[in-house]
Amino acid sequence: MSMNVSDSTPLKDVLYAFSMAQTVPNAELLDDFARRYPTHAAALTDFAVSIVLDLARGGDDEEPAHAIGSTVSKAVSRAMSRFQNKLFEVQQSRATGGTFAATQGDVVNPFATLDRKGFRQLAEHLNCNAVFVQMLRDREIEPATIPPRFTQKVCDELGVPMELVAAHFAAPPQVYGGQYYKSTEKPRASTRVSFEEAVKKSGLTDEQRTYLIGLLS
Amino acid sequence: MARALTKKDQDGNLYTRPAFVEEKIDGALGQDLPTLLRRSQVTQKSNPDFLPLECLVHLIREFRRQDDQHAMSTFLPVLLRRCESILKSKVPDDYLPMAEDVREEILGEFSLLFAEDNPQGATTELDYYECKFFHAFRTFRMPIIERARAEREPLVSLPAEDKSGEEQDIGEVLSRLSEEFRQPATQIHHASRNELLRAIETLPRDQAKAVLLCYFFGFSEESEDPSETTAATLCGVTGRTIRNRLGRAVNALSKILKKEDLCQ
Repeated sequence: MSMNVSDSTPLKDVLYAFSMAQTVPNAELLDDFARRYPTHAAALTDFAVSIVLDLARGGDDEEPAHAIGSTVSKAVSRAMSRFQNKLFEVQQSRATGGTFAATQGDVVNPFATLDRKGFRQLAEHLNCNAVFVQMLRDREIEPATIPPRFTQKVCDELGVPMELVAAHFAAPPQVYGGQYYKSTEKPRASTRVSFEEAVKKSGLTDEQRTYLIGLLS
Repeated sequence: MARALTKKDQDGNLYTRPAFVEEKIDGALGQDLPTLLRRSQVTQKSNPDFLPLECLVHLIREFRRQDDQHAMSTFLPVLLRRCESILKSKVPDDYLPMAEDVREEILGEFSLLFAEDNPQGATTELDYYECKFFHAFRTFRMPIIERARAEREPLVSLPAEDKSGEEQDIGEVLSRLSEEFRQPATQIHHASRNELLRAIETLPRDQAKAVLLCYFFGFSEESEDPSETTAATLCGVTGRTIRNRLGRAVNALSKILKKEDLCQ
């Protein structure tokens, strides 16, 4: 094996290479890598020890045998939200050749073009009410808690790409000029709540609440 | 034929997929999405429809390149669910306080790799996952787990002194450490070795490292030869410090391990 010292390699790549080399590291492998990447020797040693201790919780080449099922857990839902937000950010950055800033001024609000009738129709098709749609419009719901299936329905109903809706939800909360219910108070941007909290406080029917909460599982 | 990987190893050679992964990818590339979706949820290796995780990663990356949002949103959750299943065995609820949060963090961070994937640019990290998914995934998850362990109280702390007087003799502990990591792998040996590893894992990190470097990896505590790699050089300390840590570790292990385990 080559003994060239290539210490400019990023630590992440060194650890990946170490892990890929053997299922269970031995002294020879650790010695070789520590010599090849001396500034990463401490990190390699820690990693080697972690791999050995990890063995106590099963081997590293097998998936658990039980079926994964068809339901999406909260963890997977939130991971998908993070993926969608990041994907839009990366695509915008590459398209503009620079860093994409998801500020209120930069992000298109896909609800902005809806008139009163369109607002009501959207609420009906999403199986919610105008109050809930207004919370979506004004970005009052924590984006990481919005189920991907619901986001997809919003995209389908509005006829816009997923990334646009995901970016809209991820942008800071805003106050919108058009109002679709009477209020005696001046509107102001509110802090965010979770999807579940939004469902509970929007005055929805029992059937609507059950349906929307069901999207979380 | 699947697109070639672009990541290179430490010797400058391109990483390549194992032959069985290439075959599975070739078979999958011509199939429709409903068929692929059904196959992607099969986790039994013996099932002919089984798609290894390496293959699933490749498919999702292809959907990404084609900007197929619907396919990405359909298949990435399946991959994440299979990863979650792995994490439930590697980071079970009784392993760490708030283990569920740690699993969620790992999945969330992992999903970002797919959003940032750019085979034409510098971000080719997912190439590792097309070669050996499990080895790559453990590289990814372990720093997050170790960070979480450092931030939280250990779930299994050292037990109070055994009043029954059935602690293991120090010599017996040393003997077990020497023998357990030298025996060939058998089912009984696995259970015994895993028990020992779990006990070692409860030690302070520096003591656990000293024990494993000397007894698992077989490094000398120190050496007069400055070019020799030893436990002391790997930990950046003196041989005396390693011996002190070993002494404390063995004392602690003698309290953790029950005498009757020696009779297995």
